[in-house]
Amino acid sequence: MPDNRLSMSYTHRAALIGCLSGLAIIAVAPLFLDVYLTNILIRTLFVAAVVMTVDILWGYTGVLTFGQSAFFGIGAYACGLIFTHYGFGPGWALAALAVALGTAAIVAAAVGWLAFFHGSSPLYSSIITLALPIVLTQIIYSGGSFTGSSSGLSGFPTYYWDLKVWFWIAGGFLVLTTTAGWLLVRSDFGRVLIAIRENEERSAYLGIPVSRIKTMLMVFAGMVASVAGFGYAAFSNVVAPEMAGFQLGTELLIWTALGGRATLLGPVFAAIGIDTISSWLSGAMPFVWKLLTGVAFVLVIVLLPRGLAPLIGALWRKLRPKHVPKTHAIRLNPAPAGRMLQASFGDAPPLCLSQVSRRYGSLQVLRDVNLDAHGTELLGIIGPNGAGKTTLMRCISDGNERTGGAVRVNNVEIARGSPQDIVGLGVGRSFQNTNLFDTLTVGECLQLARYRIDGAKLFDRRETVSLPQPALDILKTTGLDKMLAEETRNLSHGMKRGLELAMVLATEPSVLLLDEPTAGLTRPERMAIGAVLTRLTQEFGLCIMLIEHDLDFVRAICNRVVVLHQGAILMEGTVEEVVASDLVKAAYTGLQKEAVA
Amino acid sequence: MNQELLSVEGLTSGYGTAAVLRNISLSVSKGEIVVVLGKNGMGKSTLLKTIMGFVSPFSGTVSLDGDDVTNIRPHMMARSGVAHTPQEHTLFPDLTVEENLRLGVASNRLFHERLPSLETLFPRMLERLKQRAGTLSGGEQKMLLMSRGLIAQPKLMLIDEVSEGLQPAMVDRMGEVLIRARDELGIAVLLVEQNLDFALSVANRFMVLKLGEIVEQGDVEDVVSTQTLSNHLAV
Amino acid sequence: MEALALDILTTAAILFVVSTGLMIILGVMKLINFAHGAFLTTGGYIAYLVGAAGLNPWLAVPAAAILGLLAGLVIERTIIRPLYHRPLDAILATWGLGIVIGQVFALTFGRGVQFAPSPILGTIDVFGSEYSGYRLAMLAIAIVLAVALSALLSFTRFGLNARAVIANEPLARGLGIDSANVRSITFGLGAGLACAAGALITPLLSVDPNMGLPWLVNSFMLVMISGVSFPSLLVASLLLGGSQVLVSTYISPILGGMTIVVLAALILRLKPKGFSRA
Repeated sequence: MPDNRLSMSYTHRAALIGCLSGLAIIAVAPLFLDVYLTNILIRTLFVAAVVMTVDILWGYTGVLTFGQSAFFGIGAYACGLIFTHYGFGPGWALAALAVALGTAAIVAAAVGWLAFFHGSSPLYSSIITLALPIVLTQIIYSGGSFTGSSSGLSGFPTYYWDLKVWFWIAGGFLVLTTTAGWLLVRSDFGRVLIAIRENEERSAYLGIPVSRIKTMLMVFAGMVASVAGFGYAAFSNVVAPEMAGFQLGTELLIWTALGGRATLLGPVFAAIGIDTISSWLSGAMPFVWKLLTGVAFVLVIVLLPRGLAPLIGALWRKLRPKHVPKTHAIRLNPAPAGRMLQASFGDAPPLCLSQVSRRYGSLQVLRDVNLDAHGTELLGIIGPNGAGKTTLMRCISDGNERTGGAVRVNNVEIARGSPQDIVGLGVGRSFQNTNLFDTLTVGECLQLARYRIDGAKLFDRRETVSLPQPALDILKTTGLDKMLAEETRNLSHGMKRGLELAMVLATEPSVLLLDEPTAGLTRPERMAIGAVLTRLTQEFGLCIMLIEHDLDFVRAICNRVVVLHQGAILMEGTVEEVVASDLVKAAYTGLQKEAVA
Repeated sequence: MNQELLSVEGLTSGYGTAAVLRNISLSVSKGEIVVVLGKNGMGKSTLLKTIMGFVSPFSGTVSLDGDDVTNIRPHMMARSGVAHTPQEHTLFPDLTVEENLRLGVASNRLFHERLPSLETLFPRMLERLKQRAGTLSGGEQKMLLMSRGLIAQPKLMLIDEVSEGLQPAMVDRMGEVLIRARDELGIAVLLVEQNLDFALSVANRFMVLKLGEIVEQGDVEDVVSTQTLSNHLAV
Repeated sequence: MEALALDILTTAAILFVVSTGLMIILGVMKLINFAHGAFLTTGGYIAYLVGAAGLNPWLAVPAAAILGLLAGLVIERTIIRPLYHRPLDAILATWGLGIVIGQVFALTFGRGVQFAPSPILGTIDVFGSEYSGYRLAMLAIAIVLAVALSALLSFTRFGLNARAVIANEPLARGLGIDSANVRSITFGLGAGLACAAGALITPLLSVDPNMGLPWLVNSFMLVMISGVSFPSLLVASLLLGGSQVLVSTYISPILGGMTIVVLAALILRLKPKGFSRA
């Protein structure tokens, strides 16, 4: 999607123009529309604001949520309940709004705690968001005359302003929140959301606090939805359990899917269009309409997962071919070395494993591994398949992985820390299979990697990214420094490896864990990586641990080698010692027990 | 004249953008055991997976009995008479020995017909039919694997490192089984191995895979000194 | 006291019967079929039609099962198969399908509630008190179903293939099992079971276009907790169904309605694998 890369000043200008045009249309529209349609549209405009939040959560961040309707309902019922049972007036209205916002925030935080912990599956999170409106509806039903139970509340005092005024309020709210949303998703922070959607695990391993971000997003989305609900209830003078219900929650998803996920404007327009038509039809037609939208929804999911907006976008581009917007350029900057020198200056070894074990049921994958790794050291981990090498690396980088023993990084116990916590302690990890973020550019990936240290702007985009010298060197060697605007999916395998390494280095680790860094690389690429790693240990004092099968590579650069066999350390020593050892030879050729003491 | 059963031409294959195999050509004929030697990470498993259809090659062709099977789906390959014994996740640990064996043959009738023939190859297997496969020892699991492959009476067996982690006596047993399968049943075998002695004791021909390319090949009986081969596989 | 125990047992039985269809689809296809509720509703309307036509109410069950099986095979090929690699989208697509089915029923039968006659009328004397005969029949049906499905899974070739696909699909394919076929048949079976379940429970309640929805959510939570195992599903049905009955009886029926959902969510938070032995 080319418009993601537009320069920020262009984006800001576009946002301003869009916002002002939207407001202008809102201002003028009620003068031309009939009463019935205006009435419908006011409600639809409030609901469209909620759809926008659904797109941000689902389309951009990948959180499938059935529960935004619950927050809409919270806002509505805050209004209805307080106006019915407590009082009415400007003070009460503000209080009710505060209650709506507060309740939505608390509920959203609770949902976040329940749904987004490290290791929760996307299916589970969706289940929780599914349960939310159901539970809320049940609570409303059980409220007796206080909540009006299944009939809801109506006829409470409210502001009986002219339809025009309400239209301006609803429309203005929608335009302003959508503009803010639009700026958010086009910003650096928007890139973070997309990264989470595309590859959550990788994001966590770059130090991005995924759970916290999702929860915060839920809180803000919930608050916006609750304000929309408040307005809706204040206007229509009715609150009913359907406003908080599961069905509305799924309708929001349907409109988002039809309008086009991750386009923001698509879902908003789809919601306005579909809901207006739906309310406008009478008799049996609403059922037929619902049937048609249901069919369209299924077709879109199966055949056009990105919805209708991209088609319209393509059409637009066909009509305006000469318009080439200036793309967003990123420049590289050197950053101070910071924590990377830490490894060689401490007393304790930067990486200490004691009695680390990992078992799956009755299968013991790692048994009582004791290992220390030091700064300026290139430690090779070798061993036959199934020896537990990758598991060992996982036990270091993820606190929940091991079943026994302790791991200390820079003299701090990792305990049951999540990958992002351990990145914070100074560990960087690369994976056996390069998995990056397909639709992001090289520059954006690098900015992402700096999240923990430099943060990400919420409504703006930085034009520079500061990287430590080793990362800059890799970019230069691979030629990536000239390809900052290229999407990562277009890179060759060797370049992806290089980018991944640069990204890991960007997090300024003092301990580097590399899982088969040379897999799939050509000979010259292997030599280049070897040189880079050697420099990292010698000049920057890093502690590097790597898993390798290419023993020539290990021989060339590692100063110490550990042989892992059937989950335990068979032998440690220099490369020569290990290669000459009969013990190790036996392990590799599979001859068993007698040879292995 | 020896008929080529399996023929691979110019195969380049890998995962994502990484090419793990480059321009591989080989053939296996009926009643022949060909071994592919190489250290870990050199592309051996990828070769078998590509032939079987789990991985789509970037370029090149695979033919079975003259038919192009390059992009065939794995279950069709199996039904065409190819038995694949992968390196990892080879058995269903929660199913019984009998159930694992049954899965090697499509029809129950054939299963019962052929089961007794395993008696000679793996005597103690038939006593353990109701045992959960996950509770067998490593060696017994490999025996089960081979049995499952053989009970299918395949034309071609693709075997990935069957000797790994086995006691020497067991390794010899496996060798005997493979040789009998070749000689008595005419099964063609493409074997992937790191264990040089075992490989040379069973194979007719060999090839060495290094960094995704074949760097050496020939007939086993022509091998005078195993030194160079050892070097390729050396720790 | 006996009535309460019987309530718990029969409620568990009903939940079990309703959830089996969802579970086998989840097990083999790793997919949550959100059209499950609509299939239940379909079975309900079949029961209503059979009753309205004056036929033996028991006929509704096989009729629903066969119709569900056929519909399931068609749906799997058209909607589910393209979404093999997109499980969350598959949830949405099946949900959309459910909406479409619901609207068709609303247009055909109206939004009101319909009733189907019960195959067993009246009560039966149990432990000295009278208890609904049909509910007791449900208990028997649940047991028979559990036994039949377990037998299918353990003793038939299809069951073996299905278990292989459940355990390790790539390995199963490498052994010659056409996993696409297994998935197809499984979906048909799951749909058939759901329709049959709908026909079975309608005499106890009623049918309307949205009847399946609360059952969808409850069976969904039960299956999430129990994993893919009939014994686990029985246990989960008993524990959570029992809790629902207790809350409904001693606190409030409305809060009882959400017991299963809340308990399941909490259990999964603390023990993400639920009751399964993984």
